[in-house]
Amino acid sequence: MTRNLICKCCCVLLILFALSIQAAPLKVLRTSIIAAESGFDPQRISDLYSTDICWQIFDTVLGYDYLARPAKLIPNIVRELPVAEDGGRVYTFRVIPGIYFADDPAFKGKKRELVAKDLEYSIRRLRDPALNSPYSWLFENKIVGLDDLVEASKRKGKMDYDTPVKGLQLPDRYTLRITLKSPDYNFLYAFAMPQSAPVAREVIEAYADDTMAHPVGTGPFKLAEWVRKSKIVLVRNPNFRGAVLDTRYADMNNPWDREVVKSIGGKKLPLLDRVEIYPIEEEQPRYLAFLNKEFDVMDTLNQIYAAQVMQHGVVAPNIAKQGIRVFQEVEPEIIFDEFNMEDPVVGGYDAQHVALRRAIIMGHNRSQEAQVIFRNFALLEQSPIPPGVVGYDPTFNASSQQDYNPERAKALLDMFGYIDRDGDGYREQPDGSPLVITYLNRTSLQYTKQAELWTKSMKDIGIKLVNRQVQFTDMLRDEQAGKFMLAVSTWIADYPDAQNFLQLLYGPNTGSANRTRFKLPAYDRLYEEALKLPDSPERNRLYREMCRLVLAYAPWRFGVHRAYLHLVQPWVHGFDRNPISHDQYLYMDIDVAAQQAAIKH
Amino acid sequence: MNITSFILRRLWQMLPTLFGVMLLVFLLFNWVGGDPAYILAGKVSDPALIASIRKQLGVDQSYFVQFWIFTKQVFTFDLGRSWSTNELVSHVLMTRVGPTLTLLVPVVLIETIIAVGCAVLVAYVRGTLTDRIVMMSCTVAMSISFLVYIIVFQWLFGFKLGWFPVQGWTDSFWKNLLYYAPLPVILAILVDVAPSLRLYRSFILDEMSQDYVRTARAKGLSENRVMLKHVLRNATIPIITNVAAGLPATLVGLFLLEFFFSIPGLGREMVVAVSNSDFPVVKAITVYLAVLTMVINLLVDVMYRWLDPRVSFR
Repeated sequence: MTRNLICKCCCVLLILFALSIQAAPLKVLRTSIIAAESGFDPQRISDLYSTDICWQIFDTVLGYDYLARPAKLIPNIVRELPVAEDGGRVYTFRVIPGIYFADDPAFKGKKRELVAKDLEYSIRRLRDPALNSPYSWLFENKIVGLDDLVEASKRKGKMDYDTPVKGLQLPDRYTLRITLKSPDYNFLYAFAMPQSAPVAREVIEAYADDTMAHPVGTGPFKLAEWVRKSKIVLVRNPNFRGAVLDTRYADMNNPWDREVVKSIGGKKLPLLDRVEIYPIEEEQPRYLAFLNKEFDVMDTLNQIYAAQVMQHGVVAPNIAKQGIRVFQEVEPEIIFDEFNMEDPVVGGYDAQHVALRRAIIMGHNRSQEAQVIFRNFALLEQSPIPPGVVGYDPTFNASSQQDYNPERAKALLDMFGYIDRDGDGYREQPDGSPLVITYLNRTSLQYTKQAELWTKSMKDIGIKLVNRQVQFTDMLRDEQAGKFMLAVSTWIADYPDAQNFLQLLYGPNTGSANRTRFKLPAYDRLYEEALKLPDSPERNRLYREMCRLVLAYAPWRFGVHRAYLHLVQPWVHGFDRNPISHDQYLYMDIDVAAQQAAIKH
Repeated sequence: MNITSFILRRLWQMLPTLFGVMLLVFLLFNWVGGDPAYILAGKVSDPALIASIRKQLGVDQSYFVQFWIFTKQVFTFDLGRSWSTNELVSHVLMTRVGPTLTLLVPVVLIETIIAVGCAVLVAYVRGTLTDRIVMMSCTVAMSISFLVYIIVFQWLFGFKLGWFPVQGWTDSFWKNLLYYAPLPVILAILVDVAPSLRLYRSFILDEMSQDYVRTARAKGLSENRVMLKHVLRNATIPIITNVAAGLPATLVGLFLLEFFFSIPGLGREMVVAVSNSDFPVVKAITVYLAVLTMVINLLVDVMYRWLDPRVSFR
C-alpha cells in the first residue's frame, strides 16, 4: 500500500517536473552581423562573419579563456595544452574521449565520437589543393611530409587522405602526434582557429556538393535554419558535453568580468536555447532595430553611431536611460599605410629613400586621422604590434618618427635634395625628375577621407600625391604584384602573438603576406630566431629589435588601432568580448521575463 | 499579321538583343568587375593559390571560351554555383525572386493607380491652384534623393513613431506583405509617383485637346464620360508604355530598398554579388531580368491591340 503510494507520488512529481521543463520559456538571443555570411565549412571560409558562426558550431582543438586578458590559450577538446617537445618540433594532442558530433543523417543513426583521426583529416583537408583553402597557409611548409603529399596530390588531381604522413602520426584512437620541419613555438595557435576545427569525413563526403550548408560539429550549437544572407538560426546541440566558466583569470575590478562571474559562474553552459543572427549591411536599420529592442546585442558599431552613443567617454543619456550597456574594446588590429620597398621612388634602404619615407610619414597628420576619420575611437599605433597580443610592448614609442611634424619633414626633404626646382609648388627628386606619390586605396567613404587627408598633408610639405581609388579586388591584385607606391592596409590578428603581425615584413613572405616587399636580412634573422623561442623575455627582446628596425627603415606609416563599441541590452547576461575568440554565445544568458516585458513595452 | 506570327517574330528578334545584353554584361564584368580569385584567396595569398583558384573558376580560359560557356549556361538554365557561397545560382534566383515581387507588384499597381487618378484630376482642373500645388509638390518630391527618403522615413515611421518595422522579413508571405513590405512600398511609390503623375497629366492634356473630345462634349456627353471613356482610354497606351519602360528603373530602386530594409530579394543579392565579384550570380540576375523586361515589353505591345483595335501588328 505504502509502496504504491510512493510510486504514485513519484509519478506525479515526475509529471510536474516534466511540465515545468516544458513550460520554461526558450532563451532566444537575437543579434545581427554587418556583412552577409558565405557559409559554414570551416576549411573553406575566410570571412569574419562566417568564421564567427563556425566558432559556435565547431569545437576548436584549443581555445581562449573567455576572461583572460591578454588572450590566453587553453585546451578545449584535448586533455591539456600540448607541450613543445624536441625543441618546438613535436606536439602531441590527446583528445578527450566522449566528445560527440551533433547528430546527422551522414552518421546513419549512430552517435559519432570525435577522435584524433578527425583532427588529422581536417589538417589534410585544409591543405587539399582542390579546396584552395584561404587558410591553407596555417600548415604550409610546417608538417613533415605534408607538403610532399600536397604536391603529389596536385599531380594526381586528387588529395590522398589515406596515405600516412610522417609528420601526422596516430599512435592510438585519441592521440595525434605532429612533427614539424623546424621549431615553431607559435604552432599551437593554428589549432585555436575555426579553420582547423575538426570535421567528420563522412559528413564532408556526404555533402560534398555543398559543404558550406551542412556544418556538423561538436560545438555548443548546431545550425537549425539558414536563409542565406538573411537569417541564421542556431539551436543548442544536445550532444554537446557542456562547459563551466573558468573564473581563474577574471579581473574582479572589471565590471564586465564581475557581471559574467556573477551571472553565469558555476552554471552548466550553454544557457541559451536559440540564437538568431540577421545579416544587415546598412548601419541605420541595424542600430534602429537594436534601439527598438528587436536585437539583444549589437556588435561593432561604426564610428558615426559610436559618436552618438558615447561622447567624450561618457555614454549618451538616451542610451544610459534605457539600461543599455556599452562595451568598448581596442581590437588587436592595425591600420597602416605601406610603401612598396621595391619602388624606385619610395623604396630602397639607402639614407635618401629612408629620409623620403620618414618625411612622408611625418608630413601626414595622423592625429587628425584619429580625430576626424575615426572620431576619436582609435589609438595611435606605436609599433607594428597592437595591444592585447603577446609581445606587445606598451613602452615602445614611435612618436618621434611617426607623429605629425611637418617642419621636420620639410627639413629632411631639403637635406636630401627633394626641393622645388621649377617653382610649381611641388618638390622634385634629387635628380630633378618629378616626385609624384601614388596612393592606392579602395572605393569607400572612409578611404576617400583618408586619401583627402593624405593629399592635403602632402601638399603642405610640397609633395604631389595622386589618389588611386580602385575596387578591393584590384587593390589586392596590385598589392600582390607590387604595382603600387603607397597603399592602405589592415591586418586583424589571427592569433594573439606579435609574430602574426611581424610576418608581414618577413622577407621570404614577399608576394604573399609581405606585400610591402620589405627584405632586410637583419630583420629576417631576428624573425627566424624568434620563431625558435617560446614566449620569453628573450623573444620579446627580439620582437622589440624588429620593431626598432621597422621604425628605422620606415616601410610603414603607423596608423591607428580602432576602438569598437558593442551594445548590450539590460536583460543580456554573461557578455564579454574576447579579442581573438568569438565563441561568446556559449557564455551568454537571457533574462527572458525582462526581455519579453521590454518587447511588449 | 496575326498575333501568333507577331509574337514569334518578336521572340526571334529578342535573340540578338539578349546576345547584346550577355556580351555587355560579360565585357563589363571582365573589364571592371575585378578578379574574384583575390577575394577567395583570403588574407594571405600567393600567385600559385590565385592561379589555382582562377583555374577552378574557369577565369583563366580565353574570353571566347568563357563567353561560350556563359552562353550555354544561359540557354540551358544551368548557371552553376555562386563563387562566394557555392550555392546553386538557380536556387539563388528561385529563393530571392519572391521577396522582390512582393515589393514590385504592389509598387507598380498602387503607383500606377495613384498617378493615373491624380493625373486625371489635376488635368481636369488644369491651371487652378490645386493643379499648381500638385505640380510644385511633384517637382519638390522629384528633387529629393531616394536615399534621403529612405533614411528619414525609416527613422521617422519605423523608429520614432513605430508605425512600421525598421527592417526584417519572414517566411510568411502575408506577414511580409502586410507587415514588412508597407514602408518600403510606400517609399517606392512616393519616389515613383511624382514623375509619373507629371507625365500622365501631360498625356491626358494632350488627349483633352484633341478634336474627338470637343466632338464628344458637343454631343452632350457628361464630363465624367468624356474623361473616363474617351480621354483616359486613349491615354492608356502611352501610360502602359511608360509603366513597362519604367520597370527596370523601379527594380533598381527596389535594390536599394531591399538593402536598407534587409529584404532578401534579388537586389540585395545583386549588391552583395557585385561587391564579391561573384560573376555567376551577377550574370544570372542581369540576364534574366533583361529577358523579363523584353517579355514584358512584348506583352505591352500585345496589349496595345487589345486596348485599341486600330493598332495592327507589323
